[in-house]
Amino acid sequence: MNLVELEAEVTRLEDIHEIENLERIYGYYFDTRRMKDIVDLFSEDTESVEIESHGQFLGKEGIRKMYLQGAGGEDPSGQPSKSRQRFPGVGTVIIQIGGVITLAPDGKTAKGRWHTWLAETFPFGGAMGQYWLHGYYENEFVKENGKWLFKKLFWNTTFYTRFETGWRVQPIVGFLPMPNPDNRPTAFHPYPSGYHFPYSFPHPITGEVDKSEYQYQHPMAM
Amino acid sequence: MVTLEELQGRIQRLDDIKQIEQLQKIYGYYQDYGEWQKIVDLFAENEPSVEEADRGAYKGKEGIRRYYVDLMGNGPNKPQRPGWLSILFQLQGVVSVDPDGKNAKGRWYGMGMEAKPTASLHEGDLRQTWINGVYENEYVKEDGKWKIKKLHFNLTFRTPYEDGWLKVPVVGQNGPDPVVKPDAPSTSYAPYPSGYRVPVHFKHPVTGK
Repeated sequence: MNLVELEAEVTRLEDIHEIENLERIYGYYFDTRRMKDIVDLFSEDTESVEIESHGQFLGKEGIRKMYLQGAGGEDPSGQPSKSRQRFPGVGTVIIQIGGVITLAPDGKTAKGRWHTWLAETFPFGGAMGQYWLHGYYENEFVKENGKWLFKKLFWNTTFYTRFETGWRVQPIVGFLPMPNPDNRPTAFHPYPSGYHFPYSFPHPITGEVDKSEYQYQHPMAM
Repeated sequence: MVTLEELQGRIQRLDDIKQIEQLQKIYGYYQDYGEWQKIVDLFAENEPSVEEADRGAYKGKEGIRRYYVDLMGNGPNKPQRPGWLSILFQLQGVVSVDPDGKNAKGRWYGMGMEAKPTASLHEGDLRQTWINGVYENEYVKEDGKWKIKKLHFNLTFRTPYEDGWLKVPVVGQNGPDPVVKPDAPSTSYAPYPSGYRVPVHFKHPVTGK
């Protein structure tokens, strides 16, 4: 191995490390409601963001709409959002677990899968409640001017349940009002649908690519 | 001044650790969807083994297939029961690669949320459970790829959501299967509150003991 090849190997390891950190930092910013900082983690050429049942938001403009007017409790001027006043005691612990990152051969783009596990405190219906949430991310990243940025973020919900009941009893409690998305949700099939959210990574030994195509069947049609 | 060969060796070691970490995490993702054949394909060809909780040890590639496909999957290509849920986080890996760069060991937590039958592996009402345990695993590099050589999951608790580990440490753990029999008895099974400490494979990073 010569110096050029060695440098390429080091760059590959650094890229994976930086993407792992980027995802974790996203989580910490979300916890601390630093939504403008989250917006700056996204590329100007962002494809989309999609979370829970909110629908798909397109482009960097969609990122601003989603995080600043929707999830954030801040509007672009940094003032508390009128659409979602802050309640005392609202809290999010959004844990980013198990990153598996697949770099493109050219080292300029990447994909990654994570678990998200959340302990959330939020007032649904006016009364404060405590919730467990789970879902999987399949995200895409791009390297611009030597820095890794989000290109696409997709959090696919498994459950959103009350601490007092659990996922088997009540998989979904409800969702926040959000600004109008650009598209409907592309794959919102929470537990117990059995939805298989395809893996971005190939099988590490056989190299098999995940081609699973989930056909959602409405319970009434089964 | 470090030589190119020494530098290459050090980078290789970092790459090995990263590949093993990803291997273990991918094992977890396949476990979530019950993709048993894909899991079998993550194991080494040469003398692999698996042992989880009190189900006994399964040995050789055929033993691995029997454990995951026949026992856990209830046979090849069986769909999951509606409402079956398995989320098993692979947490906090400490991976130690041997100096030869061909063998490695890793310790992990397995922590998760499930909805599974408790009368047996495949029968009875689905119950929501918390599960927690410790892996001490071994890995081997075969044909340039890291594979699982030995997987050992030591169950700490598997408790109904409504009860908790203090009240019900283990629910629905049914011992060795009478049909898909293990090749050897369990080497250790001592969930909470036994106080059993799963031995660590790694040396103390400071004292070296």
